[in-house]
Amino acid sequence: MTTTPSPKAPPLRSGPALGRVLLAEYRLLLRSVCTRGRLVAIAMLAGLSVLTAVAVALSNPFDPLSEGVGFVNGNIATLIPVAVLVFGAAVLGDLIDDGSLVYLWLRPVPSWVHVLAGWAATVTIVVPLVLVPVVGATAVIDSSPALVGAAVVGGLVAVAGYAGLFVMLGVRFRRALPWGLVYILIWEGFVASAGKTATKLAVRSYVRSILGSMTDTHLKLGEFSLGVGIVVPLLIAVLALLYASRRLARSDVA
Amino acid sequence: MTALGAAAEAPMIEAEHASKWFGDVVAVSDVSFGIGPGVTALLGPNGAGKSTLLRMLCGLTPPDRGAVRILGADPRKDIAVRARIGIVPQQEAMFEALTAFEFVRLAGLLHGVGDPAGAARWALDLVELDHADHRSTTTYSKGMKQRVKVAQALVNDPAIVVLDEPLTGLDPRQRGHLIELFGRLGAQGRCVIVSSHVLDEVERFGSRVLVVAQGRLAATGDFRAIRDLMDDRPHRIRVRTDRLREVATELISSPGVLAVRLEPAAGNRAGAVIVDTADAPLFRRSVAAAAQRADATLLEVSPLDDDLDSVFRYLVGR
Repeated sequence: MTTTPSPKAPPLRSGPALGRVLLAEYRLLLRSVCTRGRLVAIAMLAGLSVLTAVAVALSNPFDPLSEGVGFVNGNIATLIPVAVLVFGAAVLGDLIDDGSLVYLWLRPVPSWVHVLAGWAATVTIVVPLVLVPVVGATAVIDSSPALVGAAVVGGLVAVAGYAGLFVMLGVRFRRALPWGLVYILIWEGFVASAGKTATKLAVRSYVRSILGSMTDTHLKLGEFSLGVGIVVPLLIAVLALLYASRRLARSDVA
Repeated sequence: MTALGAAAEAPMIEAEHASKWFGDVVAVSDVSFGIGPGVTALLGPNGAGKSTLLRMLCGLTPPDRGAVRILGADPRKDIAVRARIGIVPQQEAMFEALTAFEFVRLAGLLHGVGDPAGAARWALDLVELDHADHRSTTTYSKGMKQRVKVAQALVNDPAIVVLDEPLTGLDPRQRGHLIELFGRLGAQGRCVIVSSHVLDEVERFGSRVLVVAQGRLAATGDFRAIRDLMDDRPHRIRVRTDRLREVATELISSPGVLAVRLEPAAGNRAGAVIVDTADAPLFRRSVAAAAQRADATLLEVSPLDDDLDSVFRYLVGR
């Protein structure tokens, strides 16, 4: 032993600098959630999407803009939410499952910092791993600024919105992955397509509206304005993160 | 509850009629106590509710009834008080991607320590780990992981140190080292609470004891009082000998003996006399003389209930 702890306990501090804490937790969660298995699986799906785009481009599409919008729409309906689910549900869910959450929870740090760090880590992984290849693949089909811009804006809004939802899901449920798949496939894919009222309850509808507005094309059940299409998914993410913070603050920690 | 002494210091940790249940299972039942500076051992068999009680004290789980306070604050609602708590949880999992130094430095940073890197080096030195080790903690042995957990619990120089079975997996030298460290932390005015199910381990802490059994606080007080209680309660002792009946006859008339029963020989094993006694120390002093009077050879004298479980059963049943 080289030293001994000082005999006098330190005075109560006002708390750590939240900016530094947020950055430290963001880095930690980014490293923790990036397992080789997850990265390879999602990168392969992204690769598959790029191959699909190349196949579409090589088949001399009749209407490149329409084909491009369909391609982006398809990716926003499946690949992006699945990728966000894989990382978003695990980013805090893994810590809850293995009991290491205690090392974040029992600190003088408000719970929204943990949740925001998890959300930021999820977005950071999914954007280069999935969104960038999807936007690149879209440009292979049709490189018009309107379509590429719509893919960028729609993709970012989708990633941000789904990340909020799935980080919340990881905090709320022990088996968040199946719950998330049920949400993507059953709710967004089926129930929310049933009519105009139901479609208001799906992130996909708002992102579809962004695509439609920015490319001047009509997409079924994508009839919101550009502003609503952007704001509502972000609002959903904020509400989901607030709920996750509250839930985390009140949860039993192993 | 059996009161075995009283703590005179102002409590740094308080529990007031705290209860916790999971469905139909009562994990902690109506527990009240106050703990001041120094080392306090939370002693109880596996499944007694020690970990749940420690988690409640830290605010990791709320009591379903009653209240707990750390330095006068509710650790679930007042997050500032968490800056003064250091915890070694029971679970082994840590952040796998990090080295020991990174892990402890992160703990310091989250606590708002001014120089997290310096504090991490200091804390790792305390537990005799190399802060320059670049290996991930996943490659560490269980004992090394325990020491990393202790280091992260001390990095913020906490007033309250909560340790859930911290000596698990350590070699004897490291056990001795950490026991000495905990003692020093307690002597410096910190409130150190250590859970254990090993009586000898608790004896080495030389501490006050809270005995928990079946979710209830069965006894509180000085460790020596617990030891005395173990000696004072009725004991069952096996005496293996080559002359069963003669020894049994001598023992039945010995002072403090309540009952005698014969256990016949089986195979190569010699028979035994099973003795119930109200005074184990007196019996241990008189058994050799009884064997001598019976002209018998003593092959074995061993307690059948000198384990913690039997002590707890006795305390709870009183």
